[in-house]
Amino acid sequence: MNREDLIQKWLDHNLNPQELEAFKQLEDYNDLIQLDMHLKGFKAKTVHTEDTLETIWSSINSTSKKSNTLLSTLSKIAAVLVICFGLYYYTTTLDTTVHTIASQHETILLPDASEVELNAMSTISFNTSSWNDSRSVTLNGEAFFRVAKGETFDVSTNIGNVTVLGTQFNVKHRGNYFEVTCYEGKVRVKTTTKETILLAGDTFLIIDGKYIATEKENLSAPSWLNNKSIFKSIPYREVVAEFERQYNVSIEFENIDDSQSFTGTFTHNNIETALKSITLPLQLKYSKTDNIIRLKRD
Amino acid sequence: MSKPLKDHICEEQLFSSIYRKYSKDLHNFLYYKFGSQLNPQDKMQEAFVKLWENCAKVPQNKAKSFLFTTANNLMLNEFAHQKVVLRHHQTKPKHSTNINPEFLLQEKEYRAKLENAIANLTEAQRVAFLMNRVEGKRFKEIAALLDISTKAVEKRIYGALKKLRKDIDEL
Repeated sequence: MNREDLIQKWLDHNLNPQELEAFKQLEDYNDLIQLDMHLKGFKAKTVHTEDTLETIWSSINSTSKKSNTLLSTLSKIAAVLVICFGLYYYTTTLDTTVHTIASQHETILLPDASEVELNAMSTISFNTSSWNDSRSVTLNGEAFFRVAKGETFDVSTNIGNVTVLGTQFNVKHRGNYFEVTCYEGKVRVKTTTKETILLAGDTFLIIDGKYIATEKENLSAPSWLNNKSIFKSIPYREVVAEFERQYNVSIEFENIDDSQSFTGTFTHNNIETALKSITLPLQLKYSKTDNIIRLKRD
Repeated sequence: MSKPLKDHICEEQLFSSIYRKYSKDLHNFLYYKFGSQLNPQDKMQEAFVKLWENCAKVPQNKAKSFLFTTANNLMLNEFAHQKVVLRHHQTKPKHSTNINPEFLLQEKEYRAKLENAIANLTEAQRVAFLMNRVEGKRFKEIAALLDISTKAVEKRIYGALKKLRKDIDEL
């Protein structure tokens, strides 16, 4: 048997005793044995079969759990997205509301460039997203509208609705007081009791459900836009209420008939002058402490 | 008589027995092929996890090939073909009679040469050779694990031996 075959058999761990003897006689036997001995040093780290098997089972279990948690995270993300979208949808379709406090005036530009001047302590709300379908606002308080030409424009209040095309008009709705004045164009006013069409200069007034005929208005814009309040045969309590709104004060009065008619004007810029304007004609006296004003008969 | 082979391995018992049978060989195969820096044990376990995930598709007689191929691919995914250097662990038995500094130095040099020479073997040679020399596997067993012929194993191992000896002599 030649040398090569012996080495091959040795490599294959397949030497029989005689062959082994022959192999030992080879001149490079010592070399081979030295090499073989050193090669043992390259032994791979021992794997602890049972331990690693356990880690495999646990990782198999955790991966199958992981897919569950993946699903649940996905559904969480989906839920958050739905909520966000819902909120977004809700807020964008939500009515826009503007509110003024006492003695504050505000100009609001509506989506179609119609303008609204909002008097003190008034609230107006409208929906931007459905504006193209219906131009409609809800008003509580007093506002002057400059409506851009277009489809009908609706102002709804608790007492009545005002429908217009392009025009300028003022709506005042305070408690049981409802007044619409048309300054340009045509305005249709509809309440539960009455329906009228106002032309420029016409005023529609309802107090406590009663329609009150009024004179023609010859101003081109409501007086409050010029920081004045003008009253023509208006119950005194409405005058006082307007005064309270413009100056953010509260007015108390004794022994005074608050339903008597008042005709006159007060300014929004000077409280002393204004007080005189509303007291002198009725021969009243006033006293002022902080934000409370007392009116007394002379 | 051996039991008939199953066409799937989705049984814990069967899977565990496959694990016991091949985990060590698979680990050693990965180690000799890719060295230790890519953590052969992790890849070996990963391959078994993948086997379990695909247990319905893998018949019992294909499990071994699946494992070796999968583990090999897992390694290749990370392996940037750097040179594989296997570390000598210096676990050789002590020759109590020969401990003198010169001998120790010679030993150290020899080990360094050996490391170098092994790094210079081809992957195929290294795997087959070390499985044979270190793990004491016969040609037939290696052939079965690697899905190659016994003759090819013989060639690889003998070639490796020749190359190693030549390298060591030269250095």
